[in-house]
Amino acid sequence: MNAAIAPLQNGDTVLLPERIGELTGLSEFGIAGELIAAFLGAFIVANLMLAMTGVAGPWAKRKITAAFTDRIAVNHIGPGGILIIVADAVRLLSKENIIPENADRPAYDLAPIVIAGSALLGFAVIPMGSGIHLADPEVGLAFVFAVAGIASIGLVMAGYASGNKYSMLGGLRAVAQNIAYEIPLVVTGMSVVLFAGSLRMSEIVAVQNETTLFTIPGLEWAVPAWFALVNPFAFVLFLIANFAEVGRNPFDMPEAPAELIAGYQTEYSSVYFVLVYLGEFLHIFLGGAIIATIFLGGPAGPGPAELGIVWFLLKIWAVFLLTQWLRSAVPRVRIDQLIEIGWKGLLVLSFANLALTAAIVGLIA
Amino acid sequence: MWVRFERPNVTEMNDWIAIGALAFVGLLIPLGMMAVSYLLRPSVPETSKRATYESGEIPTGGTRIRFNIQYYMVALLFVIFDIETVLLFPWAVVYLDAIESDAVTLLEILGPMVAFVVILLVGLAWAWRNGAVQWAQTPRQVDTDHNRP
Repeated sequence: MNAAIAPLQNGDTVLLPERIGELTGLSEFGIAGELIAAFLGAFIVANLMLAMTGVAGPWAKRKITAAFTDRIAVNHIGPGGILIIVADAVRLLSKENIIPENADRPAYDLAPIVIAGSALLGFAVIPMGSGIHLADPEVGLAFVFAVAGIASIGLVMAGYASGNKYSMLGGLRAVAQNIAYEIPLVVTGMSVVLFAGSLRMSEIVAVQNETTLFTIPGLEWAVPAWFALVNPFAFVLFLIANFAEVGRNPFDMPEAPAELIAGYQTEYSSVYFVLVYLGEFLHIFLGGAIIATIFLGGPAGPGPAELGIVWFLLKIWAVFLLTQWLRSAVPRVRIDQLIEIGWKGLLVLSFANLALTAAIVGLIA
Repeated sequence: MWVRFERPNVTEMNDWIAIGALAFVGLLIPLGMMAVSYLLRPSVPETSKRATYESGEIPTGGTRIRFNIQYYMVALLFVIFDIETVLLFPWAVVYLDAIESDAVTLLEILGPMVAFVVILLVGLAWAWRNGAVQWAQTPRQVDTDHNRP
């Protein structure tokens, strides 16, 4: 193990609620203290991810798209237009909330909460480095897939309850797409479990960073066995399935603006629109967090262990940048092509990847 | 060859308390935003403001339509494969340990799972041949595709 790559952070073995409990002395108060510490930890994690989406949604997305299309984008408020985040938040929250007359009411109101809440919940098991790791259950990877899957319900609710034809079509497409790419996603994730021998997130990260794949001669750089390097085929499959799962180009059929206005979010305005939009961005970041954790060594990187969170955020922003790049550069596939790519292409390839990985792990071990 | 990682010294209970806390916070934040918006936003009811959006036209018809049967087929296929992935997870978790322990041969642990996956893939091939994993086409689309030069 070379010093250039930070070994697994000590902070990762102490979870965030425990650390908060120790720092504030809450752990003296038994179960009540534990609960309060857990809430404080959850609050920190939730707000960290909300801050990320706050930067990404109103500002970074516009700036990146503008750079790709040779424009300037937001630049009036604050340095580089960064205060547009505040302006947009105030603007959207103070808009009148128009409920369409055909809306199916509790479902119409619940859908934004389900979409935003399910995405936030997924971050509970992600080790973000620098000790920011809320929970580390034995079923970590299965949990994060399950929670990310809840969003589909929110999309159906939004599409069906709006009582709008565009929303309906968008919702139907979103579900068809999510169920077509969910299985390739999970099966490809499983090929990582074959290497790691555990579903526990901290263990998956540890296995990647404790092993040296090869050493670059002359430079003495030990390259850690990140699963993206160990099994690039699985990495590419997972990236593609993930883009379909979060509904980004080239798979952004559910809200294809040229065909469906805005898909399932056509009828949402004011705070409901903010929540649906927020949920989408949280899902992109959750996808990025899963990719960073199981393929890119989680929070590991050169430098001291305290920099873990910086490396982790860099990795999820790299995935976000990739989605924005594809958004500007790749044409959208048709809905029938999308279903065929999922069921006939990715599904078969992901099972081939699983069988091959199992055989290779079996022969090496 | 892999260095095993020491389990973090926490009980399972702590984990689920923390996850529950995040679920609560994940519910609280949207509700809080709704409350803030409720205090800020105006309410100016107007005639036909709440009409369903149909590109500015007067909306016609409803959305409570019948689905194509194919939608049901794909959903059924998904349930089957989803259960399969659930059954595959325990196998994937014990795979490395089982091989390293030398208690079983490679064929013994890999064989049954490959057979299981192959049976399901045969099912997929059947569904594929019957056109269940295609996006449904209207008769007019089929006609157009058929007569395309």
